[in-house]
Amino acid sequence: MDCVRLEYDVDGENFASAGNASESVKRTLKQLGVSPASVRRVAIAMYEGEINMVIHAHGGKAIAEIYPDHIGIYLKDSGPGIADIDLAMKAGYSTATENIRSLGFGAGMGLPNMKKYSDEMTIDSTVGVGTTVYLRIDF
Amino acid sequence: MNVSELAAKANYRIYSQGEDRAVEHGYCGDFLSNIISRAPDSCAWLTVMNNVNVAAVATLIDCACIILCEKVEPDAALAARAASLGIWVLGADEDVFGAAKQVAALCGV
Repeated sequence: MDCVRLEYDVDGENFASAGNASESVKRTLKQLGVSPASVRRVAIAMYEGEINMVIHAHGGKAIAEIYPDHIGIYLKDSGPGIADIDLAMKAGYSTATENIRSLGFGAGMGLPNMKKYSDEMTIDSTVGVGTTVYLRIDF
Repeated sequence: MNVSELAAKANYRIYSQGEDRAVEHGYCGDFLSNIISRAPDSCAWLTVMNNVNVAAVATLIDCACIILCEKVEPDAALAARAASLGIWVLGADEDVFGAAKQVAALCGV
């Protein structure tokens, strides 16, 4: 099926640009007439993923594929990987540094929020190689 | 009540401006993950967090305005990003609780 495909480089060194990909996808979905509730879910899930890449993985790529009835989001990084995915999924668990917490992140809600606001989420991670997260959000 | 009227009546400083929308709700918080998942649309978001990520989150949640409490000022990166995105950033002398009471009383939220 044809889809609208958007691809972004997420700059791992730059907190100032974190959120640009999510904001761009949000704007596109609005223009396509997707319901505000669905747009909000996508924005939350994707922003959390984008921030995770900046905080933990020195950036990466964010790819959004927009279909008439859903969006698929791939967040790919070559970071350190996630050793214990079950633990990382636990609300409140975070490995973020004090510096990151002082910026308002590191509440341990990133992955739980991504799961909560998506209809499907898979994490493929290898320690020392990187992580790919897939999110599907139905409209 | 619209943001500009709130700013005038509560005597808040104006650091940047955007679309002059009605304040329909309020939300207080500093942890950005809580805010993006819980803050309602068209809210006044009260916080003491003043870095550039605040602007990104404000855009994602479609808040009516950010109110920086306790005399906190936006840092240079936040001020620049908020101005370019057209986000209202206001400044209150009161703490978050005090400012929330003002917003609630003035806007009826």
